[in-house]
Amino acid sequence: MKVVIVGTGVAGASAAIALRNEGHRGPITLIGSDPEDPYRRPPLSKDFLGGTMPVERTRLKPPTIWAEKEIELIKGANAESIDVGGKTIHLDSGQVLQYDQLLLATGGRPKVLKSEFMDMTHVYTLRHLRDVAPLRNELNAGSHLVVVGAGLIGSEVAATAKGLGVKVTILEAASAPIARLMPAWLGEKVASLHKDMGVKMVMNARIESFNQYEGGVRISMASGNRIDANAVLVAIGMTPNIELAANAEIEVADGIVVDAYGRTSQDSVWAAGDVANMENGFLGGRYRIEHWTNAQDHGVAVAKNILGQNAPYNPVPWCWSDQYGVSLQICGWPDASDDVGVRGDINSNSFLTFFHRKGRLVGSIAFSKPKELRAIRELIGKSPFISPELLSDPKVDLAELAKSQIEAEQFENKRNETAAIKDLVRER
Amino acid sequence: MKIWQCQQCGFEYDEAKGWPEEDIAPGTKWEDIPDDWSCPDCGAAKADFEMVEVG
Repeated sequence: MKVVIVGTGVAGASAAIALRNEGHRGPITLIGSDPEDPYRRPPLSKDFLGGTMPVERTRLKPPTIWAEKEIELIKGANAESIDVGGKTIHLDSGQVLQYDQLLLATGGRPKVLKSEFMDMTHVYTLRHLRDVAPLRNELNAGSHLVVVGAGLIGSEVAATAKGLGVKVTILEAASAPIARLMPAWLGEKVASLHKDMGVKMVMNARIESFNQYEGGVRISMASGNRIDANAVLVAIGMTPNIELAANAEIEVADGIVVDAYGRTSQDSVWAAGDVANMENGFLGGRYRIEHWTNAQDHGVAVAKNILGQNAPYNPVPWCWSDQYGVSLQICGWPDASDDVGVRGDINSNSFLTFFHRKGRLVGSIAFSKPKELRAIRELIGKSPFISPELLSDPKVDLAELAKSQIEAEQFENKRNETAAIKDLVRER
Repeated sequence: MKIWQCQQCGFEYDEAKGWPEEDIAPGTKWEDIPDDWSCPDCGAAKADFEMVEVG
C-alpha cells in the first residue's frame, strides 16, 4: 500500500512518522509547498522571532529521520490536482504520484486585508519559517510595529517585539484580545498584560486605509486617527486550504469535511489538522481546530485509521501561549458555557477559570497554571460531571482529583458493561 | 549539560539555564528535577520529555 500525504506541517509530518511507527512497510511520500524540512510553528512568533532560538531548534525532527524512516520528502512542490478515480496526484513540477491512500493535511494560509494593502512594503504576515527573517529585520529598538489582530499570533508577536525594545501598537476589531477563544472579561486581563508592558491597545479598531511612505506605512482609522508604522503585521486568522480537495469534488465546507476517523467524502482520501472540518463529539455541530496540539494528534490518529485501526478521534481542543513570561492556556469550549468558576486570585497572574454548561465541565482558561489545566482537560474529556465547588477549593489537588475521578468513572463503566453482559447471559 | 524537549509542545529545558521561574537553578540536571514536575508551557509530565541535544 502506497500512502501519499500532502502537507509538511505538523499534521502531515506526524502522520508520516506514525504510519512507520505503527508498522506500515509500504512507500510513504510526504509532499509540501514549503521549501523547508518540517518545522514547529509555535516558536515562530516567540523565541525564534526574538532571536533566542537557533533555526535548528525549530525543526520538528532531526533532519536524518526522513531517510531513516524511509519517508520520501518532496519539499517546495505544489499539489495541483487529484484524480480520485485514477488515484493519482499531480504536482506543479509535472510529477504524477500514484497512491492507494491519500491524506490531505494542507493546513491554511493567513487571512489578509485588501491586496493593495498587503502588497505594500513593510506589511507582513506570519505563518511560515521564511516569514520570520523579514519581519525580524524590522524589529529594531525604537521602531514602531503595528500589529493588526489581537489573536494568539498577534499578541505573541507584540510581546516578542516589545522584548526587543520596539514600540508596539495593537489594532483589534473586537472589543477585547483573543476574542475568538476567551470571554471579553478575560481578554481584558490579556490586554492589561500588554498595557503594563507599554503596548498601545486599540480595541474596536476600524482601519480605513494604508498609505505607503518611505520607510513605513501610514494607517488611517475610521475614527480619524492616523498611525505611522515602520512595519505592519497582519494577524487576523487563517483560511483553510481547501481548493485542492474542492476541485477533486471532495466535500468541503469550512475546511475539508471528515468523519470521526478522518475520512473525506471520497474513498481512500483522508484529511487531518487545521484543514479538517470535523464533528464535535462532545457538544455536537462541526468545527475546525487551528491549534498545534490538534494538528499533531489528528495526524497521528488518522494515520492509524489509514492502517485500519478504526479509532474515532474526538479531541478536547487546547492551546497555549506565552506572553511576557505568563503562560496562557485555553482548553475545551469556554464560549459554550452557562457558568464560570475561578480557582486562585483573578487579580494575580496565576489563576485558573473553569466553565460549565448544564452542570458539565466544558472548558478552562488558565494563567500560568499548566499542571492544573492539564487535569481539567482530562476531566472535560473523561469525567466532566464535576461540581464547581470542588474545582475551586484550593485544598483539592486537581491532578489527584482528575486521576481518582477518571478511575472511578472507568470502574463504573466496566461494572455497567459486566452487568449488561450478565443480563444478556441470563436472558438466554 | 543537556537539553530536554517536551514532545507535546516543544518546550525546552536547558540544564545550563535551569528554570528560575520555578526555582530550578541553572545547572540542575534533568534527573535532579522532581518526578512530579510538569512542562511549564503545556503541563505535560516529565516523562513526556526527550533529550534532544548534548551540549
